[in-house]
Amino acid sequence: MRGIRFQILSKEDLDRIHWGTLHILEKVGVQVDSPTCRKLLNENGCEIDEKKRSAKIPSHLVEEAIRKKKSTITLAGRNPKYDARLDLKHSHMCANGNGAVAVDFDTGERRNSTKKDLIDSTTICDALPNVHVHWPMVSSTDMPPSVVHLHDLEASLNHTEKHVMYETGVTLEDAKNLTAMGYAAAGGEKEYRRRPITSCLQCTYAPLQHDAGVMDASLEFARSGVPLVFFCMPQPGATGPASLVGSVVVGNAEVLSALVMTQLSTPGAAVIYGLGIAPLDMRTTVRAGGSPEHAICSAMGTEMAHYYGMPSCVGVSGTAKEPGIQAAIETYTGCVGPLLAGADLMCGIGLLEDSSCLHLEQVVIDDEIVGAIARLIRGEWACDDTMALDIIEKVGIGNNYLAQKHTMQFLRTDHFMPSLMSRESEDNWSKTGKKTVKDTAREKVKKILAEHKVPSLPDDANRELTAIIDKVKKPLWGGESKVQ
Amino acid sequence: MEEIVTRLKDAVINYEMETIADLAKQVVDQGVDPLVAIEQGLAEGIKTVGERFGKGEIFLPELVMGAEAMKAALAVLEPAVPQGQHRATLGKVVIGTVQDDIHEIGKNLVSTMLSSNGFEVVDLGVNVPAADFLKKAGELKANILAMSALMTTTMPRMGEIITPLKKDNPSVKTLIGGAPVTDVYAKEIGADEYSGDASGAVDSAKNLVG
Ligand code: B12
Repeated sequence: MRGIRFQILSKEDLDRIHWGTLHILEKVGVQVDSPTCRKLLNENGCEIDEKKRSAKIPSHLVEEAIRKKKSTITLAGRNPKYDARLDLKHSHMCANGNGAVAVDFDTGERRNSTKKDLIDSTTICDALPNVHVHWPMVSSTDMPPSVVHLHDLEASLNHTEKHVMYETGVTLEDAKNLTAMGYAAAGGEKEYRRRPITSCLQCTYAPLQHDAGVMDASLEFARSGVPLVFFCMPQPGATGPASLVGSVVVGNAEVLSALVMTQLSTPGAAVIYGLGIAPLDMRTTVRAGGSPEHAICSAMGTEMAHYYGMPSCVGVSGTAKEPGIQAAIETYTGCVGPLLAGADLMCGIGLLEDSSCLHLEQVVIDDEIVGAIARLIRGEWACDDTMALDIIEKVGIGNNYLAQKHTMQFLRTDHFMPSLMSRESEDNWSKTGKKTVKDTAREKVKKILAEHKVPSLPDDANRELTAIIDKVKKPLWGGESKVQ
Repeated sequence: MEEIVTRLKDAVINYEMETIADLAKQVVDQGVDPLVAIEQGLAEGIKTVGERFGKGEIFLPELVMGAEAMKAALAVLEPAVPQGQHRATLGKVVIGTVQDDIHEIGKNLVSTMLSSNGFEVVDLGVNVPAADFLKKAGELKANILAMSALMTTTMPRMGEIITPLKKDNPSVKTLIGGAPVTDVYAKEIGADEYSGDASGAVDSAKNLVG
């Protein structure tokens, strides 16, 4: 996807947000729960308050971190044809991830998600043209609790050849295990560092806090060559100022302070700028992940990221309870704004209830919506081929263009062909059972699951993955209870 | 009812967070029974605010401001309650987010809704170890132990608290919630009540003490 751009924040706005953020980092600081990170910041000249666990970060450290960061980050696919090159010029879509519930495709029952749900949704994402990066969409809650996240990664790596981003590296130990699995799947550490086929999304904790486990894990990922997303999520009015720009300032301070720690520890580490600012609906208290405010914040976040020369990662997460009109409006609203602003990685395919519940139909519907948006934002240009003066002359006055080779050529590149929406005549639509988009989506899901085959990892890689999972797995009675 | 008690009630309804403490001091100075002021003034006021929120007439910040106003007045009135007397509440709830989990927004809302509906709430915060839940539930003589978990990895912590609690402190009822928690799961780990949102949490809590 290549974006035509609209701009929300002016250069002056961007500067003001940047300076405002530096002011907050110096004056208020951030809470850093990890003693390791506090020590790191202390050694580099930050003012630390051990009792409050807070750190005030001087501007020069932020500027230095921004200088050290990477501007182009390739999220490599197991199959190189799926490489997602985040170069600030192209937009990529990513699945939404880590829901804990699913609506059963066959029975319609809403229940906790299973490894089978994960395998099916991964296979579907592999088949869809508008999903470029994968994120384990649900948790395998039918697996032993200590290794749910490792099963999630194993199933994802085996059922898609696209890059896999996860968000389950919440402790140092998790980071080590997830990294080891990435190395095993890539064919060794050296190969992985050259082409990282996994990455980790880490949340900062609004307002202005960094969880200990998450940051310790992040430094480990950075050391190990695993690309990171630092994803801030102030909720305007609750954990951030109600004014959207105010929440962008809070989020920006969180992302930049995480960047400082990472770059101090591993200079040049691959860090993506993540921002998911969605208000809490103040009547129902549900996070409004499919709201226009979320879309606008994601667009502003992308502009901030690009101001720093970093790729952005933003999201959409509709609050609809079932596939249908609301879900479509939410995906569309949530995606079109940020994509028009040039978002580099846009997450959000396929989960409803604000990133909680998987519907397989929604995965293919969202793919279709993104297809339409991709066309909308591709950009048009006038060149000899598109102007087609020679063809216009050839066809002349009053004739048609149907029999021209030029027509077939541009049909493929310039015309979006929906796969779910009905463009047949009313007559035909009635005769074929008046199918809704959800009906055709169900057919598409069935077809993909029946026909789409994804090559799994080599046997020895899979043996390594199994060995890691077995080693980490705790016996059920070692203090653990079941998830499901 | 004394006029000043009505004014106290209105101060909660009008979210007078900054000035309500002064009003509460006047209540004490005038020799009004602080228990009456709490029960007929503050509790009635916050009940109205809670009902309005439940009906969708007001927004969350208004509910929270109402609760803050009540807290500010309670801080003045409670110390004035004569020794041995207690304000009537629907029951005492000890609440927190389980260990390794820092999601707090949902838990905070549940706390606010419970306290605005007549419960006394003690909030232990986030990332609370099982031992602390168990200790506080006993120490504070809680009627209800409420737990929040937002992640599949932390949900099992709730079961690990409920099992020993049932054994050592069977009179304490348990109430659980959080996005990944389902009714079926709640039954499986032996929780007494589950609710999917903050208004439901109030009904559930009332069931438990009723
Ligand atoms: C906001 C948010 C955050 C914020 C939290 C900010 C804060 N101060 O609380 C931040 C950014 C810090 C965060 C961090 C992380 N998060 Co988070 N987060 C969310 C999000 C988007 C919304 C949660 C929320 O606040 N909702 C609004 C409130 C009002 O709703 P609620 O919490 O559900 O509460 C309501 C009900 O559930 C119920 N309820 C809640 N508690 C209780 C308790 C009782 C007793 C009762 C009766 C009812 C009840 O009533 C509430 C009011 O109606 C959810 C997705 C989602 N939609 O749930 C992910 C989500 C929970 N996070 C997730 C993850 C993975 C993480 C991280 C691990 C990410 C990372 N790698 O850094 C870290 C966690 C670190 C840790 N150690 O805990 C995953 C969990 C995945 C899984 N399958 O387990 C989710 C589901 C997102 C996803 N799909 O990937 N997160």
